[in-house]
Amino acid sequence: MGRGGRAVRRKTQGYSKAAAVPVKDRRSTGPGRLLIAVYGVFALSATARAAFQILTKFDEAPLAYSLTAFAAAVYVLATVSLARAGRKWYRVSVAAVTVELVGVVVVGVIGVFDAGAFPNETMWSGFGSGYAYIPLVLPLLGLAWLYRNRPGKG
Amino acid sequence: MDPFLLAGAVVCLLSAVLCIGAALLRQPPNDITILSVAAVELLLVAYGGSAAVRQLGGEPVMGEAWEFWGYLLTALIVPVGAFWWAILERSRWSNLVLGAVGPTIFVMLVRMEQIWDGVAGL
Repeated sequence: MGRGGRAVRRKTQGYSKAAAVPVKDRRSTGPGRLLIAVYGVFALSATARAAFQILTKFDEAPLAYSLTAFAAAVYVLATVSLARAGRKWYRVSVAAVTVELVGVVVVGVIGVFDAGAFPNETMWSGFGSGYAYIPLVLPLLGLAWLYRNRPGKG
Repeated sequence: MDPFLLAGAVVCLLSAVLCIGAALLRQPPNDITILSVAAVELLLVAYGGSAAVRQLGGEPVMGEAWEFWGYLLTALIVPVGAFWWAILERSRWSNLVLGAVGPTIFVMLVRMEQIWDGVAGL
C-alpha cells in the first residue's frame, strides 16, 4: 500500500490533482504538509526543551519536566505517523493527536484551579499560552484533517 | 535593541510575507520564496559567527552558553528541513511550510537574545 502510493504522490504536482491519489495517502499532501511541518517544529522544540530541563534541573520539578518529555514523545509520534501512509499509521495519528488535545486541556484546567501545579514550564501550561495557543489549536486542526482524510471515505 | 535581532526580525518577516503571499497566489515554491528561506539560514550563520567572535572577545553569554548554542544549532536545522519538506511536493501549501520558517526562527532569535542577556530561564 504505502510503497506504490508514494510513487503516485511524487508524480502528483499540487493539490488539484490530489483526487487521483488513493484516499489513505492523501494525509501528507496539500494542507497536510503544513500540518506535519508545524508538528515537526513542535516535536523538535519539545524534544530540545525536555532534554534541557531533564539534564539541567530535573530535581526542581520532576512532574513538569516529565510532562515536557511526554509531550515531546507525543509530538514526535504525531509528526511521524501523519507523514506515513496506511491504516495503521492513521490510527496512531488519531491516538497521538487525541492524547495531545486531552493533555493540553487537562494541564490547562489544572492550571486554572492550581496555578502552582504547572507554572510556565511545560508547553501545555495555560492551554499552550506560552506558544501562542498553537498547542491547543493544532490538535483540533489535526483531528479535522484526519477526519476529512479517514480511510474508507468516498 | 540588538541590531542583529532587528535584522533578524526584518529578514524573517520579509521571508514569511513573500512565502505566504506566494501561497495565497497559489504559486508552488519558486526561486524567490526558496531564496528568502536561504536568507534566513544565512542570517543564522552570520548571527552564529558574530556571537562566536563576541564570546571569544570576552563578552560572555549571561545565561547558559550551551543553551544559547543549542538554540542556534536547532534553528539552523529549521530552514533546511522546511526546504527539504517543501520541495518534495511543490504545491502552494509547500510555500506555507516555507512561510512558517520566518516566524519560527524569529521566536528562536528572541529566545537567544534573552539567554544572551540572561533574562529568565527556560
